[in-house]
Amino acid sequence: MDLDLTLREFFTAAAPPRHALARLFRGLGGRSPRLEPLADRFRIEASDHGVTRLRPGRGLGAASPRARGHAEQAREELREYLAGRRTFFRVPLDLDGVPEFQATVLAEAARIPFGEVVAYATLARRIGHPRAARAVGNALGRNPVPVIVPCHRVVRGDGSWGHYAFGHAMKTFLLGLERATPLLVGCATSRIVCRRGCAHERRVAEGNRVVFASLRDARSVGYRPCRVCRPARVA
Amino acid sequence: MDERAFSRVAEAYAGRLYAVAYRLLRNRADAEDAVQRALMKAFAARASYSPRWAVSTWLYRVLSNVCIDELRRRRPPPDPAPAHGGRDSGDVERVDLARALDAVPREARLLLALHYVNGLSYRELARVRGISVNTVKSQLARGKTILRRALGDRRWIST
Repeated sequence: MDLDLTLREFFTAAAPPRHALARLFRGLGGRSPRLEPLADRFRIEASDHGVTRLRPGRGLGAASPRARGHAEQAREELREYLAGRRTFFRVPLDLDGVPEFQATVLAEAARIPFGEVVAYATLARRIGHPRAARAVGNALGRNPVPVIVPCHRVVRGDGSWGHYAFGHAMKTFLLGLERATPLLVGCATSRIVCRRGCAHERRVAEGNRVVFASLRDARSVGYRPCRVCRPARVA
Repeated sequence: MDERAFSRVAEAYAGRLYAVAYRLLRNRADAEDAVQRALMKAFAARASYSPRWAVSTWLYRVLSNVCIDELRRRRPPPDPAPAHGGRDSGDVERVDLARALDAVPREARLLLALHYVNGLSYRELARVRGISVNTVKSQLARGKTILRRALGDRRWIST
């Protein structure tokens, strides 16, 4: 039997259900809610070394021009993140006063890739305290820089959201946003692949954008990683 | 491209887009969601559509971008392709093929789906993924080799 023939039969067998097509078109005119203005509803505090706190409120809390620079950078990156134009944060963090256990938990949470979720228990296992899921939850609950350290990517083992400082709706918004935002974008003309949010990625014309699931995939078809945003770090 | 022209094009291609998404994502809800997201993205970016491209190439690129990103979030199955050989039931063959496809790397799987669902030529496939025609050929060949091996059936080897 011919593999080509079997593949052709296999691939043509998926006819769309009629009602599904109607549903597809109903959604076309709709607009997804804009999250971008939410960036102005955070109060961002920073020291000379980086962002120290992010909480509901307004304005920036910075005692020096350098600290103000960090806070403004955080605000801009948040705006881009919420608009689906950024998948990573570059702004430095200053978590100096954070207790050791909590710092370990936050560092591990920061490693959860964009768009993925991990259970509290899994995170506890990863930091070498498999029975400390509840303590991990508490540590994340006191996360001084939510969103930037993505504690929203940690959920309960049964799949429910668990506690979130900005509320369930916000957690749903953020996870939905990450689901709809690609992580790696290649440029079809230069054959370079960048992380979404890299300055080079932003210059790629809409018609030249090619999304990849991993750097390995991109390499396998002749794309090379960007030397500025270094996608090898995440994918 | 104005709104009415876009609706006509979307209507003409929705079925084919759905077939690709369904074969890649392997469930109806995700396939519908992917096509809807792709059409919404294409609709929002319709001003950037350049007529030097075929509309289909553009839509397939938007759809493949959405599907590939959806596949990124899925963990690879622990046992991708158990070998089954010598069964003659069509359904079993179909299940085997679906499982064997899991063993094929994502890029090759996407090219296989576009090639076999819609009969896209090598040149069109190259444009959709922004790769060279030679890469398309080698990816398809590699995908098929992996499929033959995963299906574990000697009948495939000679083809």
